[in-house]
Amino acid sequence: MTENKNIVEKISIKKLDFYYGNSRALKQVTLPLYQNMVTAFIGPSGCGKSTLLRVLNRMYDLYPNQHAEGEVLFEGENILVPGLDLNLLRARIGMVFQKPTPFPMTIYENISFGIKLYESLPKSEMDGRVEDSLRRAAIWDEVKDKLGQSGLSLSGGQQQRLCIARTVAIRPDVILFDEPCSALDPISTAKIEELIDELKSEYTIVIVTHNMQQAARVSEKTAFMYLGELIEFDDTSKMFTSPGDKRTQDYITGRFG
Amino acid sequence: MVPTGVFQVNDTALQATQLKTALTFDKAKAVRGFRLPDATFRIVSRSAAVLVLIILTGVVVSLIHGSIPVFKAMGFEFFTSSSWNPVTERFSAGAAVFGTLVTSAIALLIAVPIGLGIAVFLTEICTPRLRRPIAIAIELLAGIPSIIYGIWGLFFLAPFLQVYVQPSLISAFEGIPILSTLFQGPPYGIGILTAGLVLAVMVLPFITSISRDVFETVPPVLKEAAYGMGCTTWEVVKNIVIPYTKSGVVGGIMLALGRALGETMAVTFVIGNAHKISGSLLAPGTSISANIANEFTEAVGDIYTSALIALGLILFVITFIVIALARLLLMRLNLRAGT
Repeated sequence: MTENKNIVEKISIKKLDFYYGNSRALKQVTLPLYQNMVTAFIGPSGCGKSTLLRVLNRMYDLYPNQHAEGEVLFEGENILVPGLDLNLLRARIGMVFQKPTPFPMTIYENISFGIKLYESLPKSEMDGRVEDSLRRAAIWDEVKDKLGQSGLSLSGGQQQRLCIARTVAIRPDVILFDEPCSALDPISTAKIEELIDELKSEYTIVIVTHNMQQAARVSEKTAFMYLGELIEFDDTSKMFTSPGDKRTQDYITGRFG
Repeated sequence: MVPTGVFQVNDTALQATQLKTALTFDKAKAVRGFRLPDATFRIVSRSAAVLVLIILTGVVVSLIHGSIPVFKAMGFEFFTSSSWNPVTERFSAGAAVFGTLVTSAIALLIAVPIGLGIAVFLTEICTPRLRRPIAIAIELLAGIPSIIYGIWGLFFLAPFLQVYVQPSLISAFEGIPILSTLFQGPPYGIGILTAGLVLAVMVLPFITSISRDVFETVPPVLKEAAYGMGCTTWEVVKNIVIPYTKSGVVGGIMLALGRALGETMAVTFVIGNAHKISGSLLAPGTSISANIANEFTEAVGDIYTSALIALGLILFVITFIVIALARLLLMRLNLRAGT
């Protein structure tokens, strides 16, 4: 494990506006995301935090009347330009969703599927990659005897870790977590938080969460959003002890949201 | 809001205690009044359900009963031979069964890829603006009466195939072992292939609309997850959408097959109505339903009529098997959705 404390700005969001049809969901958001750190997006429902996350891998492109304006620089390159290779972008910026989304195939294939999109490996190497990915997602011991079973046969928490393994398997640079624990029980949640903590040594991690304690536990940086605007962005420790904005304080202390 | 609600609850509770005695009496009487209508309702709905069973049994029994003379006269040869001679009263189902199965197979061979393609386009690729017109066009295609397909097949499709398509098929496949057998002989226009093509157009809407419906049951987040890994639309369709909806799609194809097997009017127009089994798809043939429709009016004598009824019985059995398979697959789909 390399203890990299040099702060690298992996993604820079600059003056980003986002529209669902004509309604503006993000207003002039400017925000850096640092390498090997966990950045948490918090804020009340509908504040635009998931929208912001979905801009980062251009998931919004699947829907015709959504569009973004401004700049999102990923290693210096604007990813919002038309004609960008979306498949490559999404291979480099992986995403884990709110609900576990195992594919309708076996546990093994759920992992090998993503790898096969980009690399053709001989069977033995593939086995190694699958095992390695499952180990990183802390699920290997639970599934090693049933790799041939359907991914749907696992419990919710296991499914979510399978999805994390699947994302890790294609070796992205950035992993986006969209409320990854909101459908899970406390034990699975703890496992996934632990996992996020381990993963940050190798990846840039962004997590959207409704759970204040979770944001405080897993993240180094926190961004508070409200009504499509970025209200405050700071070190998590500072944010939760002495927030600069009244609205942040109200939200964190549970006065609204 | 909240305080008034609380008061209301208290209020009703109070009233309920006061009116308790009066209410219980009235309620009991009212409930007794329900009994007769309720019993009638139960009997009526039950007999409606039983009626279906009676009708079905009646049809099966009469088909079997009607088939007995020809089975007695022909024995097992009724199923194995392909001769059909009303003069000598030698009948067998071979040619008709062959025609039915082959035309349906051609129809599915053509309609399944096209239908799935349309469904994929509508659910995954198409812009919303174009989605409605195409979907409506598909539904209109399903609404065209089969007699119109028959006329169209006979007066437009068959001559067109005869002049432009079949000659080139024949010359193109000449000398290639299996294909030359499939496409040999004179181009009649009408024949097994033409019937299969018309059937393909007729079952296309079934396949399209059912597969579109099941494709839409794929959770958007599952597709997003696949796109999120960098899959292309084709990879998402191949690896996520089709596996997820496999059973439903197969169920839809089975229903289309059921339709193709039983289709009478359009097939009768274009199949050529010849009682023979030919290796060539261009040759005229017959199907079970076309055979029955054509010859019922001229069926004189017990055995002739019985032969046609027996054909009906065979068609019934084939269709029943297809529907049973479709049901089985749909059950598997539901089972999996439940887990």
